[in-house]
Amino acid sequence: MREAPELLERARELTGRRLKKVRLITDTSEFMNLETGDVLELEGRRYVLKGTEYEGRFGLDEQPKYWVKRALDWEDGSAKIIKLVFFEEFDMALGEITVRCYRSPAKEARILTLVQGNPNFMQGVTLLDTAGNQVRVLERIRGGPLDQHLQELSCCHQEYFERHLRRVLTKLSVAIEAIGWLHTQGERHGDVRRDHLFVDKDSGAWSWIDFDYNFEFKQNPYGLDLFGLGNVLTYAVARRDVTYHRVREEFPQAAEGLRPNDFSPVIKNRLMNLKKIYPYLPESLNNVLLHFSSGAGVFYERVDELMAELTPAIAELPQGEET
Amino acid sequence: MPIWNRILATVDEHDSSLQAVRYLAGVLGGSDACRVRIMTVYQAPEADAHPAKEQRADAAAQRKELLLDRLEEARQILVGARIPAYNVSTSLQEAGGRTIAETIMAVQRQEGFGTIVVGRRGLSKSEEFLFGSVSNSIVHQSTDCAVWVIS
Repeated sequence: MREAPELLERARELTGRRLKKVRLITDTSEFMNLETGDVLELEGRRYVLKGTEYEGRFGLDEQPKYWVKRALDWEDGSAKIIKLVFFEEFDMALGEITVRCYRSPAKEARILTLVQGNPNFMQGVTLLDTAGNQVRVLERIRGGPLDQHLQELSCCHQEYFERHLRRVLTKLSVAIEAIGWLHTQGERHGDVRRDHLFVDKDSGAWSWIDFDYNFEFKQNPYGLDLFGLGNVLTYAVARRDVTYHRVREEFPQAAEGLRPNDFSPVIKNRLMNLKKIYPYLPESLNNVLLHFSSGAGVFYERVDELMAELTPAIAELPQGEET
Repeated sequence: MPIWNRILATVDEHDSSLQAVRYLAGVLGGSDACRVRIMTVYQAPEADAHPAKEQRADAAAQRKELLLDRLEEARQILVGARIPAYNVSTSLQEAGGRTIAETIMAVQRQEGFGTIVVGRRGLSKSEEFLFGSVSNSIVHQSTDCAVWVIS
């Protein structure tokens, strides 16, 4: 790291801020010390930092992710997300179960190479700093996560079902198949969530983001990804998470008929048997959702098993609107 | 063509997997009629989880040692039940990217074992959903052999 007054003018121009100094960073190991205005130099390319990214999880308070920076390309000023190397190992609570997870920059770097040019996944390159850290430089997606996109369709659920669901699930099935393709390449997404599926406002593509989570598996290497896909699918059908509490408030009569088998085996208050509150849902689609419920005799272990039943179920939905 | 009295008994790192071997000892004890292979599947620690080579090698060595101990315990249970030692063999198989069930089934097919013995740990519904069940997968995949699932 060194002070680089020769870079000050361009850094000010790009960031639009009255920076007092600029530092040139070639080793990103100490990412907590990085500041707005710092210029990263990675394999001959430069990026000026604009700030730290924050992440909220489903409406919870946003937390700073100090290893993820907003940045601008030095040459053309395009917006980038820069992910610095941060190893962590932690227990992820899924209902009553704890899963040992870890963050792997190497995994994300591998997948970025694998999905180059594939619009179903975020795009970017991995560049090494002078300490050998795999820094991922990502294209910023103009748009927002799936839940935000679906909330913009302001209508009641039945209207959503009749006018939009077929289109939404058709788009979602492309994203689900993309995860299946990833599995055929021997990789897992690792953190399939509705806020990790971004809708690009420019291209209309639905792209998975954030591939750096991983976990060790014993029998079913794709179980956690399938679990995530089930949650995203159920969310897309209901256009929200439906909890027991919510059913009691909004559908008191249906609440009386609910059984433990109607809920997720992992998140036990999340309703998967949506036909109990939305009776107009076709059996075929609801049967797919039931494979993610406690009542399922057999769980999906592979994406192609899921798609074999989801594709014909989508074909049965009302035609709705094309756009 | 599988030979029915060639038995593939599987164990893993859990103590409970020896229950299946004890059951087998109870059924076959004193008999010279069957040949038993006790098998365990070794899954190498993933490089993503253990980026440092030395750390990965340590984790691999620990995991292998545990499995080899388990194989020896299982062998002693069978031999202790008066199954002739020459009829009992052990094997540690590398998964090499396959699941545990896939690895077991590959050995069964290649070597013509007519019977598979596998323990069942009593997973909760959510554990089975997230992680899969070895015994369930074996039951689903097996077509030309008997499967004994010991709970």
